[in-house]
Amino acid sequence: MKPLIDANSITYEYIRRDDEGNVEGITTALDHVDLQVKKGDFIAILGHNGSGKSTFAKLLNAILTPAEGTIYVDGFDTSDPANVWEVRRKAGMVFQNPDNQIIAQVVEEDVGFGPENLGVPTKEIWERVIESLKALGIYELRKKSPNRLSGGQKQRVSIAGVLAMHPECIILDEPTAMLDPRGRREVIRAVRALNDVENITIILITHYMEEIVNADRVFVMNEGKIAMEGTPREIFSRVEELQNLSLTVPAVTLLAHELKKAGVDLPDGVLTKEELVSCLF
Amino acid sequence: MFRDMTLGQYYPAESVIHKLDPRVKLVATFVYILSLFFIGSVTGYLLAALFLLSVIALSRVPIGFMVRGLRAIVILMVVAALFNVFLTPGEVIFSWRMFSVTKEGCFIAAKMVVRLTLLIMGSSVMTLTTTPANLTDGLEKLLGPLRKIRVPVHEMAMMMSIALRFIPILVEETDRIMKAQIARGADFESGNLIRRAKSLIPLLIPLFVSAFRRANDLAMAMEARCYRGGAGRTKMKPLVYSRRDRIAYLILALYPALLVAIGYFHFR
Repeated sequence: MKPLIDANSITYEYIRRDDEGNVEGITTALDHVDLQVKKGDFIAILGHNGSGKSTFAKLLNAILTPAEGTIYVDGFDTSDPANVWEVRRKAGMVFQNPDNQIIAQVVEEDVGFGPENLGVPTKEIWERVIESLKALGIYELRKKSPNRLSGGQKQRVSIAGVLAMHPECIILDEPTAMLDPRGRREVIRAVRALNDVENITIILITHYMEEIVNADRVFVMNEGKIAMEGTPREIFSRVEELQNLSLTVPAVTLLAHELKKAGVDLPDGVLTKEELVSCLF
Repeated sequence: MFRDMTLGQYYPAESVIHKLDPRVKLVATFVYILSLFFIGSVTGYLLAALFLLSVIALSRVPIGFMVRGLRAIVILMVVAALFNVFLTPGEVIFSWRMFSVTKEGCFIAAKMVVRLTLLIMGSSVMTLTTTPANLTDGLEKLLGPLRKIRVPVHEMAMMMSIALRFIPILVEETDRIMKAQIARGADFESGNLIRRAKSLIPLLIPLFVSAFRRANDLAMAMEARCYRGGAGRTKMKPLVYSRRDRIAYLILALYPALLVAIGYFHFR
């Protein structure tokens, strides 16, 4: 089957200029990255700040276009200006700061913003809005002002806004970075449900390792390259490598790893507390 | 503490006036203000006041809220009224040293005060009964024809509604920056006017930087959601006139007609 997202050897550079516009230096944010995503997958991209993961997200949404290489989203080349809107509809994007991506003054109107832009008829906009709000479990908040919501709720409004555009895939660029632990759990649970129930392809970009436990496949990025790739279990079993890439390994995994080093009989890459408990007793 | 702050002064209530299409209210306010400038007799003003009072009664907004809007211009009214009273030439009814009060002056002053009061209260009715979002929608639709002469009506309406959305956020941010700067020893309270204005610089610069950053983020988020201007856009909540609005237009047409019929307008 043709992959939904097909990135071939993409390179992206930021050119730094001084006040006169002379080139001061070039930062290579992405360096010949290859990445394929199948329809219905839950992909996680991990990386510390400056690893190129956010740039990658913007390339998928045609906000940026690659300097070299090609990206196809459901068969559409993102570098072709004629495809921009189709690409953006198919690959919806959720950003980090919930305040800076909510446009309307009422929750339901914000969710309707995307469909309005697509020229969807009024009656269908309402159907989509209601369906999206329900999918994210925020239907009862529909008449509220975004300013009165918690961070987790705001971020779910943003996701609903993307979902109402009926995308093939949703890219979440560090959606939980500005949230408290409760908000983070809310958002991750909602994202997982979208993948399980609605079968929407998810690309979750994050630097919290706890959030990738349920992913089908994980890519770890470092300095513009894919440093590691595999299932969460495979990734979590390579504790030293992860630490070298300045990623914080979850406490449970770290504990299991240390216990194993000390001679306790444990499997590699323990993901959850429950799993560790059942292995130990 | 700033979360509930909105621009304008919307007073939520369930009333006929609240439910009217914003376009009706905009047109009505315009017609009403215009009428105030053409009325030339006491009976005419009584009729105008009666009309306004019945609308206020229908709107179920406490009259206190209407009067509140007047407080801001009380000083202006008093000063202007005094000038009129003392400086209008005409039949002197009272004089003291170099000041003299004339009959004409009193009449003009009274007329001005009544006119301004009705004008402010009339426009308050609109802002008190219409949410800013609705008002923006109404303006966009009413001014729609101006697009033909290349007035960016949609863009202006979008800007207005984004501004409204971000006012509480920026107010909250101002509050936060202020506290952060006070914690670093900034003093916003003491000194003369110039010193106080200067002390605002460490507040305004971070605020502007952050506002620009937000604007950049928001523009990207809007583009990511396929925003490409007003062309080809549909509306989730299109403005549709109902029977109620048509009746309101009818009443609105009757009001100046009545004034003209009884001859209370005077054209100079």
